[in-house]
Amino acid sequence: MPKSIHIDPVATRSSTELESRRIPVHSYARPMAEELRVRGADTLIMALRHMMVIRAFESGVASLKSTGSYRDLTYAYKGPAHLSIGQEAAAVGAAMALTPEDHIFGSHRSHGEFLAKGLSAIERLGDNTLTAIMEAHGDGALLRAVETHLPDESARGLAENFLLMGLLAEMFTREIGFNGGLGGSMHAFFTPFGAYPNNAIVGASAGIATGAALWMKTEGRDSIAVSMVGDGATGCGPVWEALNFAGMAQFERLWDNPGFLPVLYFFTNNFYAMGGQTSGETMSWDRLARIGAGLREDACHAETVDGTNPLAVADAVQRKRQLLLDGKGPAILDVECYRYSGHSTTDVNAYRTKDEIAEWTAVDPITTYRDSLVAEGILDAATADGIQSEVGAGMHAVYMAAANPEISPPAGLGSDGASIGRKVFAGSETPPIGRAPEPLSEPAKVARIRQNARKSRGGKDANGELLSPLKAITLRDGLFEAILHAALTDPRVIIYGEECREWGGAFGVYRGLSDLFPHDRVFNAPISEAAIVATAIGAAIEGGRPLVELMYADFIGRAGDELFNQLAKWQAMSNGLLKVPVVVRCSVGSKYGAQHSQDWSGLAAHVPGLKIIYPATPRDAKGLMASALASDDPVIVFESQRLYDQVELFHGEVPEGNFKISIGAPDIKRVGSDVTVLTIGPALYPALDAADSLARRGITLEIIDARSLVPFDYGPVLDSVTKTGRLLLVSEACERGSFAMTLASNVTRFAFDALKAPPRVLGGPNWIVPGADLEHGYFPQPFDIEDVILTDLMGDTGHVRKGSRAWDDLALARSGL
Amino acid sequence: MARIELRMPELGNEITEAQIDALLKGTGDKVSEGEEIVTITTPKVTMDLEAPATGTVLEVLVEEDEIVAVGTVLAVIET
Ligand SMILES: Cc1ncc(C[n+]2csc(CCOP(=O)(O)OP(=O)(O)O)c2C)c(N)n1
Ligand SMILES: [Mg+2]
Repeated sequence: MPKSIHIDPVATRSSTELESRRIPVHSYARPMAEELRVRGADTLIMALRHMMVIRAFESGVASLKSTGSYRDLTYAYKGPAHLSIGQEAAAVGAAMALTPEDHIFGSHRSHGEFLAKGLSAIERLGDNTLTAIMEAHGDGALLRAVETHLPDESARGLAENFLLMGLLAEMFTREIGFNGGLGGSMHAFFTPFGAYPNNAIVGASAGIATGAALWMKTEGRDSIAVSMVGDGATGCGPVWEALNFAGMAQFERLWDNPGFLPVLYFFTNNFYAMGGQTSGETMSWDRLARIGAGLREDACHAETVDGTNPLAVADAVQRKRQLLLDGKGPAILDVECYRYSGHSTTDVNAYRTKDEIAEWTAVDPITTYRDSLVAEGILDAATADGIQSEVGAGMHAVYMAAANPEISPPAGLGSDGASIGRKVFAGSETPPIGRAPEPLSEPAKVARIRQNARKSRGGKDANGELLSPLKAITLRDGLFEAILHAALTDPRVIIYGEECREWGGAFGVYRGLSDLFPHDRVFNAPISEAAIVATAIGAAIEGGRPLVELMYADFIGRAGDELFNQLAKWQAMSNGLLKVPVVVRCSVGSKYGAQHSQDWSGLAAHVPGLKIIYPATPRDAKGLMASALASDDPVIVFESQRLYDQVELFHGEVPEGNFKISIGAPDIKRVGSDVTVLTIGPALYPALDAADSLARRGITLEIIDARSLVPFDYGPVLDSVTKTGRLLLVSEACERGSFAMTLASNVTRFAFDALKAPPRVLGGPNWIVPGADLEHGYFPQPFDIEDVILTDLMGDTGHVRKGSRAWDDLALARSGL
Repeated sequence: MARIELRMPELGNEITEAQIDALLKGTGDKVSEGEEIVTITTPKVTMDLEAPATGTVLEVLVEEDEIVAVGTVLAVIET
């Protein structure tokens, strides 16, 4: 809501018609002689060779999958085989127009794009750079294997073998695979060549590539990001979110360095998404390129190009790349081509005719292109055959080496079976380098910061009276202080989400930040939760540290793939080569009913790969947020809306300077001896009230605030339970499958001998959170806590329940509750 | 001539008080209706309060940093 852009009712309401740029379809018509003059024979022949390399590579996989052998190699390849046989010209044409600094993000069907990009980078990089890149990869084992078993006199030849071996060994789950076998066929990448992660989730690369472009723009790099997904991906909401994000008006109108995100949406349009025909059956568009006109007057510079001709593709990518570097992006290319191979090996082609396949096979990109080179006299047939057999022989050697366990040892699970687990988190902090960001004004002059400076750092006055949130540092302020510190000291930190600027974040956490930082550091995002998280991942992979906000935890579903399949996975799937330092804030609401009141911290904790914190006091919020922002791992921060105004009641004062509380350490908030109460998030406060009430009856509670869900140190809880013998777990999440249940089961296992009663979990019941006036029947209240402690944990048979939770849990479970 | 009061407005049922962040006008200043007179802040938002009428500021009844309850008279304008 920038006040600088006025919405004039007169102009807005006047009659007009909307037009958009016409979309060219197959406009490429450059004669081969002209291509020869511009590109030279070597480049044109190289393109043919690269297509042959890809065809040979994938034919090997196809052969292994269908017959269990490839030439004289017998090998059971168990992984996926989404082959792009027939689509090679699209991949090679694109790579011809890209530099190693341009980054491509592919799909499940991207062996070809990966190899094309790698081969093109190898041609462009100098020998010394290539050697340095290969030596720097992993522990050097891949290079040593290649040097010994696939030697080549030239650095380029060696690098090509390195590329092929790294990919094939990766697919065969070998230690020397590019990602130690943890990524496999659909997740291959090798960043030094600008081949960024391929993705097994249809369309996911669109958002990630957009985030990469965001960081390229932020750093002012002279490069572009390319999303390479299929035609089927145009049916995915997150792809549309990404397209919209890349062309947000603010990039042109509000940012100091105007220009849209330099991202090319390259759709490899093979007319099918598995067996669904896109144009004609499953999509609204008749031609994919038309979608550009749905977004912008410039129609995103969309074009349909002939993906069976590498030069038509190279020409288009070259032109789009220049537009993107000029800030005129985003751009869309609809690259039509045909996949001869099945979608996967189980494909029986039930959805297309033999005639159709035959007609497209007649325009095979490799033979067509080869013939046109021969016809123009650029290449003679004998030389072309020579290249073909040289490529075939080389590929055979690569297959033999990659399959040989002596040369390419199979990846194992480690001596304790947990080696993969150790790849999930980096567990490190990488401090910023470079100049601290320049704020727009003196921080001390910003109203919010002046106000905080006047506030008491503790939550009570000298007489022990509770202070108003206007007079004492609140949880909201604690978060703000940690975030402000990071924003002022770490040039990698960018902050965005819905309502992050003038509004100050949906709940005022960011109030004041827009006075200090321009749009490229703090900006409003569209209501596109998937794009918010996906772009953050892309920016983080490129070196940024985005802090993004999802407003309500209930909106996690809108970013489900991005959080659970992307953010949580890339560190481990990359064998630790990628770090994804994204911090995602989401508030847990109340009073707004069932779709705005859910504590989904346990849902997030269920998926391996995310660190989860849920602070309940200003000091914890500040210290934990500082750790989250410093961490190289992704962190999800849950914040209870009910606690934003909470002042500090423990540990005295909230420190003024930046400080960190380690993620994973629970905190004893009150010492007691009869019952241990472990709380998650805001459940701390009703537990304290219950403790006050029970203290009057001589029962003392030891209250431990979990503070973090992942990681979690059970030590303090087990020590406490050893002392008390009784454990109650309280959270606001519904009980079934909750994190409290996980805690209860582990404590039972590890402190069984000390327990006087089975641990009890008190959460929300397994139904909807009702509206404000009925919430007391949902979220655990102090009297519910007392009821459970007295009846279930202390065995007080005479206790008359004060709450309404006398449910028969087993009967409820039988009816699904 | 009428005396018109500027009061601390209702800002939703959860907000009972706000802090005076800045006084933009003082006693004797001429103001026109809609002109900003005082900036207030709550834990969530900072906002400017506008003159309810055109006239002269007769009195400003609060000081910067003061915390005031909803409904408090902040200033009086004479038209
Ligand atoms: C979100 C998601 N939905 C479904 C799938 C299963 N799936 C894998 S590939 C594919 C078809 C994708 O078609 P397209 O994007 O055109 O790429 P192509 O396979 O043609 O290269 C489907 C449905 C998936 N991997 N991800
Ligand atoms: Mg397709």
